[in-house]
Amino acid sequence: MKKFLKGVAVAASMVAAPFAAQADGHADLSYVLVSHAPDSDTWWNTIKNGIALAGEQVGVNVEYRNPPTGDIADMARIIEQAAASGPDGIITTLADFDVLAGPIKNAVDQGIDVIIMNTGTPDQAREVGALMYVGQPEYDAGFAAGLRAKGEGVTKFLCVNHAIQQPTVGERCRGYADGLGIDLGDAMMDSGTDPSEIKNKVLAYLSANADVDGILTLGPVSADPTIAALQENGMAGDIHFGTFDLGEEIVKGIKDGTINWGIDQQPFLQAYMPVVILANWDRYGVLPGNNINSGPGFVTKDGLAKVEEFAGEYR
Amino acid sequence: MSDATETDERIKEISRLRQALIRPELGGIVGTVAVFTLFALFAWDSGMFQSQGVLNWTIVSAQFMIIAVGACLLMIAGEFDLSVGSMIGFAGMMIAVFGVVLALPMWLAILITFAICLALGALNGWIVIRTGLPSFIVTLAFLFILRGFTIYIPQTIERKTIIGGIRDAAEGDWLAPIFGGKIGQPIFQWLGDAGVIAVFERGSRTGEPVVDGIPMLIVWAIILVIFGHVLLTRTRFGNWIFAAGGDPEAARNSGVPVNRVKVLMFMFTAFCATVFAVCQVMEFGSAGADRGLLKEFEAIIAVVIGGALLTGGYGSVLGAALGALIFGVVQQGLFFAGVESSLFRVFLGIILLAAVILNTYIRRLITGER
Amino acid sequence: MSDPIIRMTNIEKHFGSVIALAGVSVDVFAGECHCLLGDNGAGKSTFIKTMSGVHKPTAGEIYFEGKPMHFEDPRDAIAAGIATVHQHLAMIPLMSVSRNFFMGNEPIKKVAGIPFFDREKADATTMEEMRKMGINLRGPDQAVGTLSGGERQTVAIARAVHFGAKVLILDEPTSALGVRQTSNVLATVDKVRKQGIGVVFITHNVRHALAVGDRFTVLNRGKTLGTAMRGEITPEELQDMMAGGQELATLEGSLGGTV
Repeated sequence: MKKFLKGVAVAASMVAAPFAAQADGHADLSYVLVSHAPDSDTWWNTIKNGIALAGEQVGVNVEYRNPPTGDIADMARIIEQAAASGPDGIITTLADFDVLAGPIKNAVDQGIDVIIMNTGTPDQAREVGALMYVGQPEYDAGFAAGLRAKGEGVTKFLCVNHAIQQPTVGERCRGYADGLGIDLGDAMMDSGTDPSEIKNKVLAYLSANADVDGILTLGPVSADPTIAALQENGMAGDIHFGTFDLGEEIVKGIKDGTINWGIDQQPFLQAYMPVVILANWDRYGVLPGNNINSGPGFVTKDGLAKVEEFAGEYR
Repeated sequence: MSDATETDERIKEISRLRQALIRPELGGIVGTVAVFTLFALFAWDSGMFQSQGVLNWTIVSAQFMIIAVGACLLMIAGEFDLSVGSMIGFAGMMIAVFGVVLALPMWLAILITFAICLALGALNGWIVIRTGLPSFIVTLAFLFILRGFTIYIPQTIERKTIIGGIRDAAEGDWLAPIFGGKIGQPIFQWLGDAGVIAVFERGSRTGEPVVDGIPMLIVWAIILVIFGHVLLTRTRFGNWIFAAGGDPEAARNSGVPVNRVKVLMFMFTAFCATVFAVCQVMEFGSAGADRGLLKEFEAIIAVVIGGALLTGGYGSVLGAALGALIFGVVQQGLFFAGVESSLFRVFLGIILLAAVILNTYIRRLITGER
Repeated sequence: MSDPIIRMTNIEKHFGSVIALAGVSVDVFAGECHCLLGDNGAGKSTFIKTMSGVHKPTAGEIYFEGKPMHFEDPRDAIAAGIATVHQHLAMIPLMSVSRNFFMGNEPIKKVAGIPFFDREKADATTMEEMRKMGINLRGPDQAVGTLSGGERQTVAIARAVHFGAKVLILDEPTSALGVRQTSNVLATVDKVRKQGIGVVFITHNVRHALAVGDRFTVLNRGKTLGTAMRGEITPEELQDMMAGGQELATLEGSLGGTV
C-alpha cells in the first residue's frame, strides 16, 4: 500500500506540472477558441498562433480547444464546458448549425460574448446571438474574385469543383459567375477528387470549349491537377487562372506565372481579429458595426515573399 | 491436508482488510478519488464544480459509461467490438434516414434502427462464432463497413454527409423524449429560483436555471450500469459471461451455452451503441457521417481502466463505470484546469498505463494469476 | 456384484480412414475404481470421449444401467449421470470456487419473478462440499487460480459428485501433479468410490493406478489387452502389458491401421 501511495504521489506531481505552468500568466480577461478540427489538421496551427499573438499583444488569456477526433458532438460538449468555466468570451466555428446552435445560444444567454469564426454564415451567427462573424463568406469571396477576373479580361470560365457534395464550396463558383456578370450555366465541373481524373476532365473540357479564357479552382485538391493539365496542353501562363486557398503547388504556380492569383481566406485574421475585438468590447465597449470578412485576400506574385516567410506560422 | 488448514488460518488474520480492499473495482475507486482530488486542487474555482460544470463532465462520463457497459460485458465474455464507434455513426444516420428522409414517425424510425443494429451485432457475433476468427478482425471489418455506409447512404440520397432536422421530426413523438428529454425540471427550476444554481441572465430563457434538468442520457447510463452489474454478478447468465470469457472450452464442458452468450453480448454492445446514438441525435438534431469516431477505443480504455482483463473472464461493470467517470472527468477537467488541450492524449496515456499496472497487481492478488 | 452401471462392448471409432478404437470392451460397476491404462496414443482419450457423449461410436453397444444408450451430445451424458473431469479444462482460474462449482448449473432464487443467481446457497454449498473433500477454503469467493493443481482437481470431482454423477471419468487427474497433491487426489478418488460412484480413472502411471484401482484395463493401439482384478496382477505385469502390447500392436497397427 505504501508503495502504491508513493506511486500516486509521483503521478500527482507529474500531472500537476502543466497545471502550475498555467497558473502564472494571469490576465484580467480570458477567452476560449473552440474549433471543429481534429488534432491532425495542421491548417489550424495558424489559428493557434494567431490567438497566441493577439493574446500577447492585447494582454488577455486565450485558450484553444478542439475535439481530438473532430467529432462535432464532442465539440458541443466542449462549448458547454467552456461556458461552464465562465470565460469572458467564446470564439467558435459553426461547423454544424443543428448541433452547435443550442450550446452556443445557452452560452450567449448566460452572458458570455460569442464570435463565430471560419465556418458558418453571418445569418447563422446572428441567429445564435453572436456579436459578429469573422471569416470568408463563400459567395462574397467568389463574387470578389469574379469582379477582379472581369477586370483582368475573363469572359468565359471553367470552375473546377472537387467537393460537389458540400454546397458551401459550390457557392464560390456561383459568386464568381455573378461577379463576372455571366450565367453559371454548365461552367461548374464536378471533378471528383482523383488527381488524374481531374486533370483529364480539365483537358477534355478545355479542348471542347476553346473559347474558355478563365479557370477557377476551389482548393489545392483541384488546383494541383489543373496546373499539370495546363502545363501539358501548353496553356499555362496563357489562360487566366485563379484559385481558392494556398498550398505548395499553388505558390509555385503563382511564382512561375501559371496562376494569376490565389485567394487566401487568411485564417490568421479569423483568430487574431476576434480576440482583439472581444478585448476592446469588454474593456471599452466598442464594437465594429459589421461582420468582418477575413478574405478574400488576393495573393499575387508580388505578395509571395510574406506568404513564403510565414507559411504554416501566420499564413 | 494440514498444509491447507495452516494456509487458511494464516490468511484469515488479514482477510477482513483484504476483502474490503481487494476488489476488481479497487483500481477504479483509487483512480476516481485521485482524479477528483487533483481537479479539486487545481480547478476548484474554474466552474468545474458548479452546477453547469458538474453537468458537463457528468454528461461526457455518462456517454462513455453507456458504451463502456456493453464493451465491458463483451470483453468479460472474451470478445472485442471495434465497430462500436462506427455503429454509433451508423445508428444515428439510420434514424435520420428513416425519420427525416423517409419521414416515418420517429418512434418507428427508432425501433427500426434498434432492430437493424441489434441484427448487425448478432451478425458480428455469428461470424466470430462460426469462423473462429478473432473478434478483433471481424469487428475491425465492420468498423470500415459501417463507417462506409454511414458516408455512402446520405451522400447517395441527400448529396451531403450531415442530415439535420431530426429534432423537428421528433416533435411530439412519444418515444423520442425517452432518449432526448430531460427529467426533474421542477426541482432545478426551484433550485434556480432559490439561488442555489445560476440562472440565465439574458435572452429568451432569462430566469431559467442554466441546468434545467437531468438529460435522459445520464438516466440511461445509470440504468445500463445497474443492469449490467446485476446481470453480471447476480444472475446465472452473468456466471456464463465470466465462464465464456475465462475458458470457453471448460465452460462448454460444463454445459454453458458459450456461443449464445457471446452472440447476445455482441447484441448488447450494439444496443448500447444505439442508445448512445439515439440520445445524441435527439439532443443535437442532426446525424453526421463522422459521429462516434474512435469511440470504440474510448469504450475499451474506460473498461480497462475499470479493471477488466483484455483477454476476458475477469472484470466489473462498476469498475468500467468508474473508468468512464475518470475518463470523462479528466477529458473535461483538463479544459477547466486550462491545460493545453494537445496534452490530453498524454494524460490519457499516463492514466491508462497507471491503471493497467495497478489493476494487474490487484488482479494477481485476487486470482493468484502468475 | 450386481449389473454394471455402464457397459461398453466392442466399441469402434473411425475418423475417416483412421481407426482410433478397434473393438474396446469395458464395464464399470458402482463403487469401483476402474483404471484405464495406456500409453500416449493408445486411444484412451477417444474412448472416454465416446463414453461421455462427445463422439458417437462407429460400431459397438453402450448399455447404461442395463439399457442401450445413444448419447447425442455431452449434455445427454451429463444428464444421465456421466461426468467427466478433464485433464486441464476442468476449472476457470479467474473465477471464484463457488462460481466454478456451479458453472452451468447455477442455483436460482426468484425475486419479483426475476430469476437471480442464488449466491448465498451457492457459497454455502460450495464450502460444505469442499469441507467434505478435506479442503478448507479461505472463502467461497476465493479464485480457483489460487488453488493448487490437486485442489483444483478435487473441486472438479466434488462438483461432479454434487451434481449426481453415477460414473465419474477422470482424465489423467494426476499427470501434472506433485507427490503430495497426487496423494490428495487419490484420497479424493477413494472417498468418491466409497459413496457408491463408479470411477473411471485414466492414467499411464501404474503406481497411481494400483494405489486406488479395483480393476485394470490396458488399452493399446485402439484395443483392449485385457482386464485384471486387483491382486491378480503385479505392477511389473501391468507395465509389461503396456510396453509389450505396444510392440505387438505396432506391427498390427501399421498393417491394419490404414484400411
